[in-house]
Amino acid sequence: MHYYPFMRLLLVEDELDIQSFLRCSLEEAGYQVEAAADGKTAERLAVEGTYDILIVDLGLPDLDGITLILRLRKIGVKAPVLILSARRSVDDRVRGLEQGGDDYLTKPFALAELLARLRNLLKRNGPPGNEATRLRVLDLELDLLRREATRSGQILQLTPQEFVLLEYLCRNAGRVVTRSMILDQVWGMRIQPDTNVVDVHIYRLRGKVDGNGQQPLIRTLRGVGYVLKDR
Amino acid sequence: MRSAAWRISLWATLAFACGTMLVFIFLHRFVAQDIQRRSDAWLSGEVEVLGDVAERTPKDALYGRVVGEVAELAGKEVPNRLPSDSNSDDSVFFLQTASDGSLKLWVGAGNGVANLNAIQATTILPDRPIDLHVTGFSVPFRVASLRVGDGTSIYLGLSERDELRVLRNLSLRFTFLWFLLVLLGFAIVFFTTRRMLSHVREITEAASGIGHSDLSTRVPTTPRNDEVGNLARTLNRMLDRIENSMHQLHTITDSLAHDLRSPLTAIRGKLEMSLSAAQIEQGEPIVSAIEELDRLTEFLNQSLDVAEAKADALRLTRTVIDMDELLSVMIDLYEPSMSERGLQIKLRSSGPLRVDADASLIHRMIVNLFDNELKHLPAACTVTVLLKEEGEAASLVLEDDGPGFAPEVSPHLFERRVKGTQSNGHGLGLAFVDAVVRAHGGTVKACNREGGGARIAVMLPLAADGPASHAD
Repeated sequence: MHYYPFMRLLLVEDELDIQSFLRCSLEEAGYQVEAAADGKTAERLAVEGTYDILIVDLGLPDLDGITLILRLRKIGVKAPVLILSARRSVDDRVRGLEQGGDDYLTKPFALAELLARLRNLLKRNGPPGNEATRLRVLDLELDLLRREATRSGQILQLTPQEFVLLEYLCRNAGRVVTRSMILDQVWGMRIQPDTNVVDVHIYRLRGKVDGNGQQPLIRTLRGVGYVLKDR
Repeated sequence: MRSAAWRISLWATLAFACGTMLVFIFLHRFVAQDIQRRSDAWLSGEVEVLGDVAERTPKDALYGRVVGEVAELAGKEVPNRLPSDSNSDDSVFFLQTASDGSLKLWVGAGNGVANLNAIQATTILPDRPIDLHVTGFSVPFRVASLRVGDGTSIYLGLSERDELRVLRNLSLRFTFLWFLLVLLGFAIVFFTTRRMLSHVREITEAASGIGHSDLSTRVPTTPRNDEVGNLARTLNRMLDRIENSMHQLHTITDSLAHDLRSPLTAIRGKLEMSLSAAQIEQGEPIVSAIEELDRLTEFLNQSLDVAEAKADALRLTRTVIDMDELLSVMIDLYEPSMSERGLQIKLRSSGPLRVDADASLIHRMIVNLFDNELKHLPAACTVTVLLKEEGEAASLVLEDDGPGFAPEVSPHLFERRVKGTQSNGHGLGLAFVDAVVRAHGGTVKACNREGGGARIAVMLPLAADGPASHAD
């Protein structure tokens, strides 16, 4: 079920509450987690072991998170970093790191989104797979070149926007995607509407994909997000 | 600035010109009086000498000749004498009248009849020379008289032509000098003022560049201890204080955000974990708790943003945004929800329009505007989004044909915690819109339309390079 088993992850987070639940859910997701509560420990751990990916909180007691990342880069740590920030504005230096291949997530976040961003970072930094032109989930099939979706051979009449949404769900089939992930990835905006705009899109899409009395593929996990079933 | 330099220089020059003019007029009068005094003294002296000669000369056939010669000699010693235009010397005349008033002796140009007539028309006291206008002469004569013992009167006239010419020359030189002085004065005042004001202008330019995003620069200072130097130093001290307060405010809001977000993160994480472990029935309260948490987080973000914006301290990360493109994406996002509720949304745009703004804030601002419509409009209404260029700004107008704003909230739409009676929001939506727009140097107005419905107009300054259509 997990794409990247036994990935070694270094979690740098000073809030022990957050550290413990992150460790739990990351281990559950198949990561091998080492945790550090301050910059010094993190530096030591990073030198001693090799990690595939790092999660770094910006507000560490002894060191600024960015400084830590820059130091680690200097001593040759090449693993991608997911920055956690409780700050209000996104620092220019964080933007700089983002352009350098790292990513950031503001607190509080949905676990599903954290996991998705980790996967993305690993995929970006992993060996480039040949980009598929067709996506297939059970009897749902997407032709990415012709922008055409079929279910059990039947062509689905989707708007371009609905196609992009379905494509995003397919690419994350079997995994939870949250509303803010959908807004970010499909509409390109990190926003938090006070209304159910995403739900209505999903509802419409579901009407077309699961319409003809077939087995429902798009499942709503209330309070969490959506899953496109892959089995 | 330029006009101030001009104004100051003009007024200063005017005052200077008037002053120097007064001085010159005074000098001119003084010189004129002096010249007159001299010629009067000469006339009085000469007429006395001539009277003496006339009295002592025996009254024989040579009398006229002798007196005439003496008079002619006297005429050669005229003060202030200038070469005459004509050959005949008409600047001096000598005239003797008999006791009956008839012309006895005449020395001068012409036959002297006109002079005699003029003399007879006035009374001339001895030792008191007066101006005498003689017909046929453009300039008056200064005439002194003396009554000789034998009953005759002698008159010595000196044309004021030379005197006037001297004075005219003098005033010509004075005028020229005055003109030069005034010009020089103007130049000096203008250049000093402009130099002074250019410092002020530099300060103004620097100060206007210090905006929300950049409080670290300071206005240029000069080492001199004059008013302008003091102004610059005072401004800089004030900026120090403002920067300090801003920094304090940012520290407070940041630490508040940090301190609240960390526990929120922990709570949310734990709730999510317990949700995955819970049965479906038990999950419902957890789900609504998570949703409440998310709403609380967004509320926290927005109220901190609004608080900062109220203090003009909102930090912006500016990028160029095409409002047209952004609005179409937003409408794409909102259209299904709108039609689900029986609402219509339409975009009427005049084409690409770029603003230099903080993308995240602008996105959230539009979300707030659209959420607002979605939450408050009854079914079967239409929302029209109008985007066009208006002067130096992008004008974004949202119009609907719903019930409009309730009269009791209308005057306070952009204040925090103000919401309609049916609203279930936090009352932050429009306050946030106002905060974002103001932070970008724009304006937002809300009113009820004449035909019914609400209208919210947002103006955002265009990006420096103008509408996107002008670029490639």
